[in-house]
Amino acid sequence: MLIMKHASKIYAGGAKALQDINVHIKPGEFVFLVGPSGAGKSTFIKLISREIELTSGQIFVDGVDVMKLRDDEIPYLRRQLGIVFQDYRLLNDRTAFENVAFAMQVIETPSKKVRERVTEVLNLVGLGDRGDNYPGEMSGGEQQRVAIARAIVNDPLLVIADEPTGNLDPETSMEIMNIFTEINKRGATIIMATHDKTMVDYMRQRVIAIEDGRIVRDEIKGVYGYEL
Amino acid sequence: MSFSTKWYYLRETFKSLKRNSLMSIASVSTVALSILVLGLFLTMVLNVNNLAQYLENQVQVTVYMEDSATAVQRRQTEQQLKIMPGVMEVKGVTKEQALANFKKRLREQQKLLDALGEENPFPYSFEIKVDKPERIQQIVPKIEQMPGVETAKFGQEVVEHIFQLTRILRIGGILLIVMLAIATLFIISNTIRLTVFARRREVSIMKYVGATNWFIRWPFLLEGMIMGFVGALVAAVSLFKIYDAVQEKIYATLAFFPLLPSWPFMGYLCAGLVAVGTIIGAAGSGISLRKFLDV
Ligand SMILES: Nc1ncnc2c1ncn2[C@@H]1O[C@H](COP(=O)(O)OP(=O)(O)OP(=O)(O)O)[C@@H](O)[C@H]1O
Ligand SMILES: [Mg+2]
Repeated sequence: MLIMKHASKIYAGGAKALQDINVHIKPGEFVFLVGPSGAGKSTFIKLISREIELTSGQIFVDGVDVMKLRDDEIPYLRRQLGIVFQDYRLLNDRTAFENVAFAMQVIETPSKKVRERVTEVLNLVGLGDRGDNYPGEMSGGEQQRVAIARAIVNDPLLVIADEPTGNLDPETSMEIMNIFTEINKRGATIIMATHDKTMVDYMRQRVIAIEDGRIVRDEIKGVYGYEL
Repeated sequence: MSFSTKWYYLRETFKSLKRNSLMSIASVSTVALSILVLGLFLTMVLNVNNLAQYLENQVQVTVYMEDSATAVQRRQTEQQLKIMPGVMEVKGVTKEQALANFKKRLREQQKLLDALGEENPFPYSFEIKVDKPERIQQIVPKIEQMPGVETAKFGQEVVEHIFQLTRILRIGGILLIVMLAIATLFIISNTIRLTVFARRREVSIMKYVGATNWFIRWPFLLEGMIMGFVGALVAAVSLFKIYDAVQEKIYATLAFFPLLPSWPFMGYLCAGLVAVGTIIGAAGSGISLRKFLDV
């Protein structure tokens, strides 16, 4: 599902965010990216959606060479992805339902299908009865669930999440993690950057640790591995 | 493009126009003003052109007879005129015909006709066509010497002056039009820039979920086009009304002034202006989208 070959990213300022990264993530995997602040986790995530471009090396998403895509092909790469951020990134002037529906409207889905599917995913994330609420009327955990619903509403093959529980308390984080587990069980591959030790240790999924832009550990059924 | 998508574009466009209503109104007003000035200008140029052509076709001399001239004198004058070098055609116009022509030109300006009362102020005259404009200078003094002739009038000089005027108007006009177009482009692109700025969060989310670049651009383009269209429409309607009012005023005082009739002239002009406004609107937002919407 995701392959990186000798992937390096040097930012314009000279920061070597990633150096010679080689990974192979298979369909259906659930992968945690861990490592100290500034290690390069967010960079890793942004490369997948081609929000930023590699300096050297290659990256393949579902067999597609991401760096070879023309600008007008990038939207179709992103339709294969579901993206979740730490800060939810919802539109505050739209209801939960509209926020999720937005992701379908902008890829030109017929309205009837939008209604059915949005209802379905809101139920999946446990917000079946909150569709008419605005983000301002919801807790952080609820907002993040709306964001997850938006990320998965178009049935992505790969869900990438950058510290999705970074702003949430442990209990709420656990609920969010359960939703990701459910999505993973339904077939989506998940790559999540996180500092959440409890969660990583509890989940016992594949863990890739990055330090100073290099992979220092890659374990199946791994643990967080850093002291807090 | 599906129906849902078109509907989406329209909704987004109008939402955005409403959200930025102050700037939208400012843009529409600027477009309206610019297009109105442009329209007034074109109206003037086209009318002056028309006037010059009208006068040029009148490269004829009108010989007015004294009221005291007898029928015999008139016949003698006619013979003399006919044998003058360069004279192609001589046509006698009686007092009655002159009055009738005047009435026809005035059309519905009944008040003016009433002011004339029962009197017929028009003298007997001859209309002379000559082979070339230069001939007029030679023959007019001679004609004025003839017995029974009051004056001989012609319009050549005026015609030349008017043609000169149209040339100046045209050059000045092109400069003015370019400046107005730039100002209009600037204000529209600025408004769209603000719109893009106000919606940058939406745009970034659209990009994350895989909206195509054109899908993102369309509502902004539509917004610019609608502002251009509405502004130009306001200008066109105003121009139409102004022209009608001016026409009425001019006919009330200068009955002979050959203005272009408002239909179909104004129809074509207004349609053209509305098209220009819409195109400027689209171009204005195009500039902003290229510069500020990094899709
Ligand atoms: N846009 C940018 N321009 C220049 N340098 C950048 C940019 N983004 C990140 N960096 C640098 O690249 C390195 C890796 O940053 P990155 O955001 O990937 O770290 P991270 O692992 O996500 O950290 P955190 O856990 O704090 O989120 C850092 O040294 C950072 O300063
Ligand atoms: Mg980060």
